[in-house]
Amino acid sequence: MTTNTQAQHWDIFCAVVDNYGDIGVTWRLAKQLSAEYQLTIHLWVDDLASFSHILPALDPSLPQQMFNGVTILKWDQPLSIGYKPGTVLIEAFACDLPREVFEQIENCRQRDTFIPPLWLNLEYLSAEPWVEGCHGLPSLQNSGLKKYFYFPGFTKKTGGLICEKALASERDQWQSEPQYRQQLFAQLGLEGISDADKVISVFSYETQALASLCQQWSQSELNIHALIPKGRSLNCLASIMGAELEAVQAGQAIQYGALTIHILPMTDQDGYDRLLWSCDFNIVRGEDSFLRAQWAAKPFIWHIYPQEEDYHLIKLDAFMQVYCNNLSPEIASTWQALNLAFNQGDTKRVITHWERLNLVDLPLQQHAKQWPIDALIDADLARRLVQFVKNR
Amino acid sequence: MKTAHEIRPGNVIMLDGSPWVVQKTETTRSGRNAAIVKMKLKNVLQDSTTETTFKGEDKMDDIILDRLDCTYSYYADPMYVFMDAEYNQYDVEAENLGDAVAYIVDGMEDTCQVTFYEGKAISVELPTTIVREVTYTEPSARGDTSGKVMKPATIAGGATLSVADFVKTGDLIEIDTRTNEFKKRA
Repeated sequence: MTTNTQAQHWDIFCAVVDNYGDIGVTWRLAKQLSAEYQLTIHLWVDDLASFSHILPALDPSLPQQMFNGVTILKWDQPLSIGYKPGTVLIEAFACDLPREVFEQIENCRQRDTFIPPLWLNLEYLSAEPWVEGCHGLPSLQNSGLKKYFYFPGFTKKTGGLICEKALASERDQWQSEPQYRQQLFAQLGLEGISDADKVISVFSYETQALASLCQQWSQSELNIHALIPKGRSLNCLASIMGAELEAVQAGQAIQYGALTIHILPMTDQDGYDRLLWSCDFNIVRGEDSFLRAQWAAKPFIWHIYPQEEDYHLIKLDAFMQVYCNNLSPEIASTWQALNLAFNQGDTKRVITHWERLNLVDLPLQQHAKQWPIDALIDADLARRLVQFVKNR
Repeated sequence: MKTAHEIRPGNVIMLDGSPWVVQKTETTRSGRNAAIVKMKLKNVLQDSTTETTFKGEDKMDDIILDRLDCTYSYYADPMYVFMDAEYNQYDVEAENLGDAVAYIVDGMEDTCQVTFYEGKAISVELPTTIVREVTYTEPSARGDTSGKVMKPATIAGGATLSVADFVKTGDLIEIDTRTNEFKKRA
């Protein structure tokens, strides 16, 4: 049985693997659980320097600090800050928890007065059908403890999708006032963008398909602005940017025919959301930006994290089937073919399908607006997660 | 110790002080190449079953119980009867065969490993590769010979799986019993 002295907080452990993806998801979840459910959240992160890119006020040298009501703790080895079990323990994306955590929860189990925390493994988002069959299942451990696998997903039988309660209304308000977009571009130092121009944000992994698209955009009748942060997307544009690639700075603009490549400064998560809301089209990657692009209600390409034996293409296809469920076959096939070509680095087909996309631009935009409503179904991930914990 | 990824139907693993027969395994891939293994387990002591999920690299004790090489003999509802080299017969409940039940056919000559716990046959493990006849599959639609294009096929015993497009009804095929996947034409 529990006693009054048992801590009621939740601990979330996150190992940063890909700079912004894993920490992006866990940081959003931590903020939402704190703000909307008044939970005391301890977020343990092993790479505060990477975290500070999306939370610029974070001081990577401090072992403990608080932002948005969330206590952020440095996860070093061995832990320099003592772990005290709370009511819930989340290992994000199957990260290996520190030894001290196991010792503490084992102590809990052996004492009658403390209940071990509910232990969850928050998994990656996937639209594959098998997710429904694995979501919420216990994982029996040798120690006798149970760990539950929590799978985000697109159906009622999964763990849902991270989405803040106020996000849709904030986005709608933003998108209804064109001056917000111009103000944002001005804040980011992006010059020369008129209302008639097409603006595309790019946050992808390396792929020659992007270089190919840039070539295509440079010959467009419309002025096209590609907003790209320094990093992996730019790495594949050497053929376009030449020697400038090494020296580019945030705020710089490189003209290439009808295409202007703007080098974006890093931004926090709210700023990134507003950027996605402001662009006509978004190219995103991984999990966090992928989901935020959906909530932006704009058409997008998803550059999925590449896996061995092209398994990522199965995941991509599973999502595309779900996303295109209510789309006409013509629009669906064009959008799917574009995504597939981009992910396969197919420099020719990506251009063909981009050109075809123009023909279905309006219905695709309408679909992108409706999609966030359809995808959320009854509840977002945080609400389902809190309910899951209550039911255990 | 074995990883969850290495555990196969028919294995017996020790969890929380109890032996569990692995009746079914299903491996899928999460993000960043990580494997997730879903298992259906039967508690040998309590006769109860549960579904559970593991990370592919989770380690668990694979218990070495008494095992005998046997061949399938006949079905006597509700038991499948296996026989060892000395003609001793062992009854195995259909539930304890797990996924292997789909590959049990009259006249099969595969050498199976029957596992015993306190004298009772509790699971059967098939060889890694078995050969079965395709009893029905649609003719090749595209003339593909690369083996990359797949189509559904029914094999002797009634199980279905995906096979290469060039496979025809009546062909003998090799199946990997760990993954239930088509390997090649035998």
